[in-house]
Amino acid sequence: MQKSRSLAIVFVAPALIVLTGILGWPLVSAVLLSMQDVRTIGSAGQWIGLHNYQAVLSNQSFWMAVAMSIIWVVANAAAQTALALITALTLNQNFPGVRIVRTWVILTWIVPTVVVVIIWRWLFSTSGGMINPLLAQAGMIDRPIGFFSTPWTAMATLIFINSWRWFPFIALMMLAGLTRIPSDLYEAARIDGANGWRSFTRITWPLLAPTLGVLTVVGTLLSFNVFDIIWLMTAGGPAGGTRTLPIIIYETAFKGYKLSEAATMSVLATILLMAFALLASRTLMREDDR
Amino acid sequence: MKRSLPSSLLLYFSLIVLTLLIGLPFWWVLSGAFKLPQEIIARVPTMVPHSFTLQHFMKLLSGSDYPTYMVNSMIVAVLSTAVTLALAIPAAYAFFRLAFPGREILYRVILLAYAFPSTVVLIPLFGMFAKIGLIDTLAALVIVNVTFALPFSIWMLRSFFASIPKEIEEAAIMDGTPPTIILRRIMIPLIAPGIASVGIFAFISAWTEYVFASVLILSDGKRTVPVGFSGIIGQYQIDWGLLLAGASLAVLPVVILFALVGRWFVSGLTEGAVK
Amino acid sequence: MNNRILGLLFGACLTMSFDAMAAPVEVTLWHMEQPPHRVARIQEIIDAFNAAHPDIKVKQEPQNWGEVYAKAPAALAAGAGPDMLFAIPDFTPVLKNIGALTSVSDFVGELDKEHHFVKSAVQSYSYDGGIWAVPLYNMAMNLWYRKSVLDAAGLKVPETWSDWKAASEKLSTNGVFGMGLPANKQLYTDQTIYSVMVNGGATEIFNEDGSFRFNNPQTVAALDYYSSLQKLSPPDSTSWTWGEAEACFVSKSCGMIMQFSVISSYDTQGGGDPADLGVAAIPHADGETGHNTIAYANAVMLLSKDDAKRKASEEFVRYLLQPETYGKFLNMEPGLFMPVTEDGAKSESFWSDPMVQKYRSQVETIIANSQNGKLFGFTSGRTFPSIAAVSAQNVIAETLQMIVVGGKTAADAVAAGQDRMVEVAK
Repeated sequence: MQKSRSLAIVFVAPALIVLTGILGWPLVSAVLLSMQDVRTIGSAGQWIGLHNYQAVLSNQSFWMAVAMSIIWVVANAAAQTALALITALTLNQNFPGVRIVRTWVILTWIVPTVVVVIIWRWLFSTSGGMINPLLAQAGMIDRPIGFFSTPWTAMATLIFINSWRWFPFIALMMLAGLTRIPSDLYEAARIDGANGWRSFTRITWPLLAPTLGVLTVVGTLLSFNVFDIIWLMTAGGPAGGTRTLPIIIYETAFKGYKLSEAATMSVLATILLMAFALLASRTLMREDDR
Repeated sequence: MKRSLPSSLLLYFSLIVLTLLIGLPFWWVLSGAFKLPQEIIARVPTMVPHSFTLQHFMKLLSGSDYPTYMVNSMIVAVLSTAVTLALAIPAAYAFFRLAFPGREILYRVILLAYAFPSTVVLIPLFGMFAKIGLIDTLAALVIVNVTFALPFSIWMLRSFFASIPKEIEEAAIMDGTPPTIILRRIMIPLIAPGIASVGIFAFISAWTEYVFASVLILSDGKRTVPVGFSGIIGQYQIDWGLLLAGASLAVLPVVILFALVGRWFVSGLTEGAVK
Repeated sequence: MNNRILGLLFGACLTMSFDAMAAPVEVTLWHMEQPPHRVARIQEIIDAFNAAHPDIKVKQEPQNWGEVYAKAPAALAAGAGPDMLFAIPDFTPVLKNIGALTSVSDFVGELDKEHHFVKSAVQSYSYDGGIWAVPLYNMAMNLWYRKSVLDAAGLKVPETWSDWKAASEKLSTNGVFGMGLPANKQLYTDQTIYSVMVNGGATEIFNEDGSFRFNNPQTVAALDYYSSLQKLSPPDSTSWTWGEAEACFVSKSCGMIMQFSVISSYDTQGGGDPADLGVAAIPHADGETGHNTIAYANAVMLLSKDDAKRKASEEFVRYLLQPETYGKFLNMEPGLFMPVTEDGAKSESFWSDPMVQKYRSQVETIIANSQNGKLFGFTSGRTFPSIAAVSAQNVIAETLQMIVVGGKTAADAVAAGQDRMVEVAK
């Protein structure tokens, strides 16, 4: 066992060094910053203890951003899980061209975010876009819709775009989980007279649960921290309607020139996420592979 | 196994919706890139282009550093993938097979790497890299990409290792083969499809990374495609044609890559290990 | 024997002259003019400069406006910053606050004697006993329309706010939006709103002592008017950034818009008939006289603390402002960048550009309009650092959104806007 231990450490150390090195120092630095009063990057700051925390926690904008982030995460999770599950079940079938579809369904994930932003900003715009005229032609609207003109429509539209970008990736991860389920189980169920729904609830869902568990935890973390799509499309607007926590942190740091305050919000956000991750992984991530 | 009619209808309906949902936007962008400016901004847009022009692509390629951005992105993505795999494979095996203190906890903790908002990491990292002279280098981007790809890669690889039938491994252990040899000669070849998947994942993640690439790189000659591309977009005016041409070109390399290796991504995920 | 000595001497001379031709001083220029054709034009100028000055090597690094607010201070703090950095007036206080700038008043004085700067351009960078950047080019907001469209509707070019509203309403038929106004929380919206404010007696947002006087009856009236006019704009104008208004105008979906210049896109995408493109000064409120507009004097900040690099940067700026070069520089985007110097405004290199010639009357109007240019926070001859945060966070645009998106009355919104300014200025 001794040999195994030192070998294990050799195997694991490089990865751990990279992770703690790149993520560890910034976290410590953020905590240190949050207890000073640094404004612009590079300017000096003085120690003010937990003053920033008091200011941030009593700031309404912060809590609104937290609320926005929660809405964002939940809505994305719902949309993406639904879309991904349907897609995964579809791709798990056998039909002509299944290989091609499985390969190319992920097209929306492999393109850079800026391209996604451009595509949808163009498609949804009222001058030269495609969506509004199509809706008009189909007789569904008589005035063009401003997809980003009110807080709720902007949020809904962004959720759609973000889900469009991510659901194929999630779907393929689910597909991976689905293909691990031995087909004899389905055969046996069919022989026993079970229909599609029963096979799903009795076989598919329980055996897919571990995969879904991990995807939920990691997916939530990634979703919460989505910055570029929101920033590039609405910059948190209109009227703060899409101002999630990452957005307000960025704004505070680089537009409000209050670096320490931004660091404080970052630390709070990290604590929130870590708490969620620890709780969720305990309940959702059961040992799936032994 | 014969599929019932309702099932078939449902299947084909889903497929059609899927194809339209994913394919249409890209078709519109691609066809738009070849349209004359007047047709692009016409009040009634066209599904199939009426005009044809290469002017947008010419403007894009002649005036900008696009080829340079491509090369940079390639270098960064390839290196990021190689380093990620080199670090993740042993780590995943260790988490799977080798016993060491704190293994279970550590395994959960590494996924927490995704709990940090990128802004938290950005500025201190900038300062850190500045001190060791890594600002404005492709190496900095590789390091960042590896960091963010590692946790998920380790998780995926571990689950692939776990799907290998126990007997093969046990036989080798009984023979007294040291773990390093087991890993190298037996396990890795067996999960080759899985490794391909993880490699492609790392590659794409590195290719599409924007936030760190935009701040850590200062000079134009080292820019990657996402950042360079967003810069080409005029800021005081909009040239839709140029934009759509740029979008098409930004998509092209990954599409070509995926045409070559894409099926291994999927088969790696669905098979994971050679049975 | 003599030959030998001569040979040695000659060799020595060569070596010495080689030593004298030491490595050229390298200076880096950061600017935010990223479109490829602008980058290419700047490179032409740099190449000509480098050829004429073998002891200096200038290099350009185009940056993105969205990132540079974060990147420039970070890079400077890490010792990797540029030697020259283009700026707009509200970006400069940020760098001044971190101690990156030293006053260039002597240098500006020297250039002023030779080229005669437009006063308002220098004013935007003069405060706290120094001048913090060298003005380089101007941009002023104008009202753009199509002459044929106004004629067909039987309208004169609007001069007052009531004319303007009537014209916009009349033009809003057949799916056309009479007036395209942005309502996003973004700089362009700040600019269009302020253009209306300065024409309604609401120019000053600061008191003499630096406190905010944003909340006053004229501002309320101006924002109320703007929001009523904005109702005639396309529904997605609440998410417009820089180019959508222009795209709307060029595609004939918008009858009129406010913009610095639409000449480039009008020429390539909008039909390109110079005779039909109309530009006018922004209409003023019914009780006011004269036309004002918002003007952005862009400048270059000199950041090097190293003496040799500093001198090299100054040499480059001198070169840029020479009338023979200056016109070429400005015309990296014809019709958009206006001269800030007297001799620049008369220079051959400026007026000989084909695009400028094609749209000569429009360019002349723009230059005339820019004489009455103002910029919020820089109007009283005194500048308060708090303007940087107000501008960076687009508080004026945010106030408008409270009306247009949030449904508040103009009075309530402006009061809240003032509170917000006080908050971000802390």
